[in-house]
Amino acid sequence: MQASVSALRAATKRVSRPHTRAFSSTLPAFQAEPLQKPILNKEFKIYRWNPDEPSKKPTLQSYTIDLNQCGPMILDALIKIKNDIDPTLTFRRSCREGICGSCAMNINGQNTLACLCRIDRNSSKDTKVYPLPHMYIVKDLVPDLTQFYQQYKSIEPYLQNDNPPEKGEFIQSQEDRRKLDGLYECILCACCSTSCPSYWWNQDEYLGPATLMQAYRWIIDSRDAKGAQRKEKLQNEMSMYRCHTIFNCARTCPKGLNPARAIAEIKLQLAAD
Amino acid sequence: MLSTRAVGLGPSLRQAAFAPARTHALALSRPAIRMALTKRAIQTESHPPSAAMEILNKQRLKRPSSPHFTIYEPQLTWIGSIFNRATGGALSALLYSFSLAYLFFPGTFDSAHIIEFVAGLPEGVKYAGKALLAAPFAFHSFNGIRHLLWDSGKFLTLKGAYSSGYAVLGATAVGTAYLAFAM
Amino acid sequence: MASPLILRSSLHRALAQRYFLSASRSALQVRNESSQTQTQFPYIPGGPIYRGTVNDPTSFPPPSRTHGSYHWAFERLLAAGLVPMTVAAFATSGSSYPVLDGILGISLIMHSQIGFDSMLVDYLHKRKFPIIGPIATWGLRAATVGTMVGIYQFNTNDIGLTELIAKVWTA
Repeated sequence: MQASVSALRAATKRVSRPHTRAFSSTLPAFQAEPLQKPILNKEFKIYRWNPDEPSKKPTLQSYTIDLNQCGPMILDALIKIKNDIDPTLTFRRSCREGICGSCAMNINGQNTLACLCRIDRNSSKDTKVYPLPHMYIVKDLVPDLTQFYQQYKSIEPYLQNDNPPEKGEFIQSQEDRRKLDGLYECILCACCSTSCPSYWWNQDEYLGPATLMQAYRWIIDSRDAKGAQRKEKLQNEMSMYRCHTIFNCARTCPKGLNPARAIAEIKLQLAAD
Repeated sequence: MLSTRAVGLGPSLRQAAFAPARTHALALSRPAIRMALTKRAIQTESHPPSAAMEILNKQRLKRPSSPHFTIYEPQLTWIGSIFNRATGGALSALLYSFSLAYLFFPGTFDSAHIIEFVAGLPEGVKYAGKALLAAPFAFHSFNGIRHLLWDSGKFLTLKGAYSSGYAVLGATAVGTAYLAFAM
Repeated sequence: MASPLILRSSLHRALAQRYFLSASRSALQVRNESSQTQTQFPYIPGGPIYRGTVNDPTSFPPPSRTHGSYHWAFERLLAAGLVPMTVAAFATSGSSYPVLDGILGISLIMHSQIGFDSMLVDYLHKRKFPIIGPIATWGLRAATVGTMVGIYQFNTNDIGLTELIAKVWTA
């Protein structure tokens, strides 16, 4: 009995719904108007180079988008341009929250992550987007990072100790662990290395701030036993001593790390040896 | 068969061949044909895996190098650094050229001639020349001390780098004014 | 029942062996061809042609403390020594000039040589400039020697560096 009543009620509801809808639509004044945001056009000038037409010189291409129809970050603007205007625009991106390091590029003259860089909402000034400086370009904003990764591999960025503890894991004091803070957070986005003038001129031999900071991270790790060998590798003219304490690396790091200090500490340790 | 597989037509041809045989395939056959047609338009080449390096290297040789100091924002960090090198180089070049000039022409570049030449210059030129020498000397000296402090482990933070940088600029201004006009 | 199983497994082994062999042969081929591409596309310092793949580490130059930490420490000690020397040059007058001129001349020129050499290593290294690089390096060394002799002559035969600067400044 109860079931049939509820079924009936449901049926009447179904029938009556179009009526109420039609009724409410005749009263637009009671509904909240969606806020109509004004158009805020901003120009983006983006470095373009297409490997399919290698003889054409790289150019800056201009795109104008409405900032009120776009997310707050440069990466949002790039994605909007790729979706709405030009699907051939090429750039790396992955996490959109500053932990993968893919979207490293030069924005308004500074190396940073596009996903962590807010769009300047001053629409009278354009925003220039270049790939990381002094790198070979695969396409548009995508640089060839082969050598950067090869250099990172060359410092053997892993724990090396021939005498593992008899039982369990390596124990480290809190004090020793604290030495790794400000070093282990590096995401290898290559912002610092490609902001370094020394790396611009000698990137085939000079390791660059990112790799050197990781070298320091393993040199001062209390659990690592190959510190002497790690330091010995840097005892030459090129690998580390091309650093002239310029500080572009610390200035540009999107994670707020300080490779310049790490390199200075290695130099002090080598001089004390 | 091998050749069709090589150009990637195998699956689409097979699909097209199957399509009419299906019972209610009328709706299906059209997209299948379209797929076959579009696939035919794409030309693919077969390469051994070993060709990868050669293709990559051919592409690499065409890659442009992205712009660097022309687009990088002028910052106290690297502009200060290049000025340190430029001022040091200029002062050293002056020292080298004077010494070599004296070595080869001791009669023309001895102290008496130089002092006489400088004394004969108009007052404005003298002050300008002294400022032009004092500024690089002061900057390189103060920035050199800043570098020595860094190398002994001090001011190695971004804040330290900037405050010491501004201190060097201030000291350079004062030092230049003192050397050029008060000495 | 047993014999077909044995047959099948031996067949498997034969097949596997053949595949394994052919696979290892192709791996060898790959290695040969990659060394061929290495000659076809020789390594360029600074790219765009690199040694090996993205999984191969870069190599280090042979370790040498003379070019490493000793050079660095000497450069700093020399620069630190220039600070009191400069102060002394401003403070003293007359009688102590010859001693100061001698030390100052040598250390200023060594400081300059290191500075110029550092520029050549940065901008004109011989791995990238096989002709101009060595010419510049040897030219710099010759100029430094000439400057040393010139300063020595000036300090012994003329009034000396410190007094010259003082007199030119007040001329």
